[in-house]
Amino acid sequence: MNDRPDSLSPAGALPMLILRVLQSEPLHGYAIAQRIHLLSSEVLAVEEGFLYPTLQKMLRKGWVSAEWGISETNRKVRFYRLTPQGKTQLKQDLSSYGRITQAIQEILRTA
Amino acid sequence: MGELFRRIHYLMNRRRLDAELQNDMAFHREMAACAGRENFGNTLRMREQAYEAWGWTWLDRLIQDLRYGVRILVRAPGFTLMAVLVLAVGIGVNVSAFSLFDMVALKPLPVRDANRIVRLERRSATNYTSEMAYPSFLYYREHARTLSAAMAVLGVPPMQIDDDQQLTSVSFVTANYFTELATRPAYGRVLDPASDGTAKAAPAVVLSYGVWQRRFGSDASVVGRVIHLNGKPVTIVGVTPLAFASLGGQHPDLWLPLVQQPYFIEHSAVLKDWTNPSVRMWGKLAPGVNANTAGQELRSLTDQLRHRHPEAVWDGEFIQISPGGHLQVMQPQMYQVAAIVGVLALLILVVSCANVGGLMLARAVTRQHEIGIRIAIGAGRWRIFRQLCTESLVLGGIGSLAALGLSCVVLKVALAKMDAPKWLSAKPDWRVLLFTVGMTAVATLFFGLMPALQIARQRQQKTIARQILVGAQIAGSSVLLIVAALLLRATQHALFTDPGFGYEQLVSIDPGLGRHNYSPTAARDYLNQMQSRLAMLPGVKAVSLVKLPPLGHIIDSWTTEVRGRKIKIFPNSVSPNFFQTMEIPLRLGRTFNPGEKHAVIVSESFARQQWPGENPLGQILGDGSNKDTVIGVVGDAHINALSNDDVVEQYWAAQPDDMPDMVLIVRSAGEPGSISAAAKTIATGIDASVFPEIRHLKMLYRDNVQQIENVAAIVSLVGLVAVSLAAIGLVGLVAFVVTQRTREIAIRMALGARPMAVLTAVLQQFRWPLALGLIAGTAFAAFGSKLLRVALYGVSNLDPASYAAALVILAGIAVLSMLLPTVRTLRLNIAAILHHE
Repeated sequence: MNDRPDSLSPAGALPMLILRVLQSEPLHGYAIAQRIHLLSSEVLAVEEGFLYPTLQKMLRKGWVSAEWGISETNRKVRFYRLTPQGKTQLKQDLSSYGRITQAIQEILRTA
Repeated sequence: MGELFRRIHYLMNRRRLDAELQNDMAFHREMAACAGRENFGNTLRMREQAYEAWGWTWLDRLIQDLRYGVRILVRAPGFTLMAVLVLAVGIGVNVSAFSLFDMVALKPLPVRDANRIVRLERRSATNYTSEMAYPSFLYYREHARTLSAAMAVLGVPPMQIDDDQQLTSVSFVTANYFTELATRPAYGRVLDPASDGTAKAAPAVVLSYGVWQRRFGSDASVVGRVIHLNGKPVTIVGVTPLAFASLGGQHPDLWLPLVQQPYFIEHSAVLKDWTNPSVRMWGKLAPGVNANTAGQELRSLTDQLRHRHPEAVWDGEFIQISPGGHLQVMQPQMYQVAAIVGVLALLILVVSCANVGGLMLARAVTRQHEIGIRIAIGAGRWRIFRQLCTESLVLGGIGSLAALGLSCVVLKVALAKMDAPKWLSAKPDWRVLLFTVGMTAVATLFFGLMPALQIARQRQQKTIARQILVGAQIAGSSVLLIVAALLLRATQHALFTDPGFGYEQLVSIDPGLGRHNYSPTAARDYLNQMQSRLAMLPGVKAVSLVKLPPLGHIIDSWTTEVRGRKIKIFPNSVSPNFFQTMEIPLRLGRTFNPGEKHAVIVSESFARQQWPGENPLGQILGDGSNKDTVIGVVGDAHINALSNDDVVEQYWAAQPDDMPDMVLIVRSAGEPGSISAAAKTIATGIDASVFPEIRHLKMLYRDNVQQIENVAAIVSLVGLVAVSLAAIGLVGLVAFVVTQRTREIAIRMALGARPMAVLTAVLQQFRWPLALGLIAGTAFAAFGSKLLRVALYGVSNLDPASYAAALVILAGIAVLSMLLPTVRTLRLNIAAILHHE
């Protein structure tokens, strides 16, 4: 499992997307997947097999923290919250992602 | 840092966190089911992946491997026991050797500021002495700013307490000696500058714990008692602690204040004499000062001193600073000895590792099936390799633990035997533990790597690895055996070499007149009186004078080159009848006339080496104004180097100026026992302030021989270890090879092969490794034993007898240990084997 995500692959982009959806409020795992699915106009589906290992990695990095909460179905479940470190990371990811997409579009336009 | 902390936190709370994750996923599954999506995927695999994200899989695998390794080892107790034993010996020898080195040179003395204590010695390009004149010491102490304290120790001959028969060892020390070391007395007080700093202070003595137990019966009330030392009253002020750590490993029984030396040794001028190097100097670097800075300051002080007292300083003299806060101040030749011991110990390690490696390789054959299955169900080679390495590590770890225990026992025995200072303990310190860990790693790599590689690649049938291991083993063992044989030869030589003089009936009487500041004429009168009165005693055959008596405290020698060969010469000054008294035969010419100048007598070997085939008489030795004519040749007599056959002697007639330094030698007709008492009475009659040191050469000789025998015993033990390791390894290896080929042997026999032919076929693979190992070992020994020259008195480092003996023994044992298991197989019932298969 790479620590430096490849920004071009969806796997590399997943932590960034998670960070982004967690920016407004803490969410549980299912909600994160749902939110990404909905926000991408149902283009992106986050597979559970990806989501949970990625969340673990983000916990390890200290980008998110987990805390107990009650779900909308009244069940005890962990909510993931963005840490200050996560915020910095998001900022970094966004800027490097912007640079790369810009570069790619440049190529696609001119080549 | 934070990440590591989170990872460790995860590891500690793994069970709970895993349950939480499971809950998350269960919730996810429920929600997905509600939304109409059933397919969640393999939860177990997901959990594993999530776990992997934390990066602790290697730990799990390691634990798994360790468990498996331990199980495997437990299942083969014979192999495990053998391997652990061999490793314990191999690593244990190294750990013991290192522990000794650690004690001597690395462990700081348990005294205050041990790391700042330095030994100060005089050195120039050509000269070296560890002693300096007391006034020079005072000068350095007064002026050195880089030293926060300076201590001096003056060694003197043993003294007599009251009317004891046995003399007691004594050292004079500066009054700050104990206070600088922060010694806490067991009873009373130690010397201190306030009470004992001046010559006028009341005479005080501090007892060692040992003499307090032996001589004073552990009586705490001795403090304050007055005893007489060589007739001088002195008050016991205290007792040093049992575990007292002194500087330079010196442990005299009595400690006296240096400034009071003239009180105890009458007329002595040692404390005022600029030309008599008498005290050993120790210093304590001022806080924050390093040895270089101190060295520079001392250098300039030496230059100033040269200006004021040119007689006290050599040309180009400087003060050498060496770390002093250990048991011993290491000298260059001691490092050489340490290096030799280290190399030999490493060789034992190599042999034992090759040994265990061979056993593992052989065992791999029996594990072929198991490993085949593991590979078949998907284990990669890397995984197998790692598993095998872990097994080796377990083995190495157990072996090291056993080695630590072994070395602890060895050290305990050694410390008790050597009468070592009580503060030393056999318990390993962190340096020894670190060394052991390092050794374990090295050993595991040695014995585990090659077999693991071979097995992981499923090549255990190949003989080449086995051959390399056998070769290495044989080579290492042959070096060890050759060295052991050489050392044994040398000790044997030393034991049975005629010292060249009849020592059994000799007594040496050293009045030490120089210490009492006798003038040459006064000394001559004293010695003349002693000689004539001793000669009148019944049972005394002859009396004469010598400057450096046999087995004396002082040994003088110089090295010169004769016809391109370095030889060591022991000079001596003697009275004319010395050779007759010592029973050294006069081969050619004549002995001296009393006080004869420009004449020299040389020993036989000297004459033979210097003038081969010529008449040595009338030859000239020396140059410039020191030309001497050879007037006689006497038999070789190793007066001051009993066991060293390579040295030669050169004698001059004693001159009037030598008189204060002369020692009397008495030869008795029968047992010299009664002479001591009579000599003491005579000496007291002439000058009651002089207490001669009377020594029986027979006893000294016996002590010397005892030491040599001890060395021989240790060396034999090392040789024995080497041979038995080699034998164990070979027997095991060959037995495995033979077992592996039992069926083949049985078929061959059934088809009518002669046993001899079968034997050759089986053992063929070991022929070359055996031969090459012997050759490589011999070459290494021949090359490396040059280093041993220091210890091999009178025996060449290429001594053919030693080489032949070692190689024959080793080859014999190798062949025997190969034949035994093979022959056993040949005797087996062929039908039974074939039936079984």
